Amino acid sequence: MKSAVTTVVSAADAAGRFPSMSDFESVKGSFDRAKDRLEAAEKLASCLDKFTNLAVDAVYQNGSYEQANKDKCVRDIHHYLRLINYCLVTGGTGPLDEWGISGMREIIRIQLLPTAAYIEAFIFIRDEIKINDVMSQQAETEFKGLLDYLINALA
Amino acid sequence: MLDAFSRTVVSADAKGAAIGSEDLADLRKYVADANKRIDATLAITQNVSCIAADAVAGMVCENTGLTQPGGHCYPTRRMAACLRDGEIILRYVSYALLAGDSSVLEDRCLNGLKETYLALGVPTSNAIRAVEIMKIATVAIMTETNTGRKMFKGINSGSGAQCQDIAAEAASYFDLVIEALS
Repeated sequence: MKSAVTTVVSAADAAGRFPSMSDFESVKGSFDRAKDRLEAAEKLASCLDKFTNLAVDAVYQNGSYEQANKDKCVRDIHHYLRLINYCLVTGGTGPLDEWGISGMREIIRIQLLPTAAYIEAFIFIRDEIKINDVMSQQAETEFKGLLDYLINALA
Repeated sequence: MLDAFSRTVVSADAKGAAIGSEDLADLRKYVADANKRIDATLAITQNVSCIAADAVAGMVCENTGLTQPGGHCYPTRRMAACLRDGEIILRYVSYALLAGDSSVLEDRCLNGLKETYLALGVPTSNAIRAVEIMKIATVAIMTETNTGRKMFKGINSGSGAQCQDIAAEAASYFDLVIEALS
């Protein structure tokens, strides 16, 4: 799975060479940023249910979606947030790409799912929830970057 | 291919759970030890030829028939192949050490290695001995317990004594190689 380290190792292996000084620099660079994303992952894990419920409640409050689907929406939002948690841990978009986004369009199209509901929910989490209360500014930036990535992929 | 981070992710996904505080403790240690890990990897990459050549020489010294006509390291072409394989194994060990996970070593190097050696008529007992010597040499260089001068220049000012834990991890990757050939 793609992460800072595996990318470097794959490239070195393809060329048949040992990891070079520039490889170490790039690995080290990703480790320097790891503290913030690991914090974000930890805090997100503890607030996963809370964020999901807040977002889904907000989306279903205005009555534009069928209430019967609410449970499934909760399940999916929870699933995507878990994948974001994984992405924060790996430091790349690998888990979202491989397990959340690839094949997603096909499923959504065939089942006629209202993607707008998902997008609204993630935008709600991004813009309305006070993420700052639970995690630091830098961790929040890491988290929101991935939320944006997911919103763009869904749109 | 996985690294320490994606390994945690894959096992968490199997349970369907998010990664919380307990699981993150190990990863935080991995991040905190990043400089030591890079130094330990440098200890390998800066001494590849030396480690591989010593190991093969040691293997031959213990079994001099190898370089005699009819031996497995005769003629020099086969000796060269042996040295090359030593370097390849060191390369994959250095990848695994940097990634903090053995998957790259297992998937790309060890998978099918024993079968290849058997098919080519390479004596695995001698190959295992060479890997054992590489393991001892690598750990000694990494922890600076080798006799003589310090053999690698790390990016830290720290000493090899700080690489103890990582050296134990490196030794475990060599053990995987030995296990795969046994």
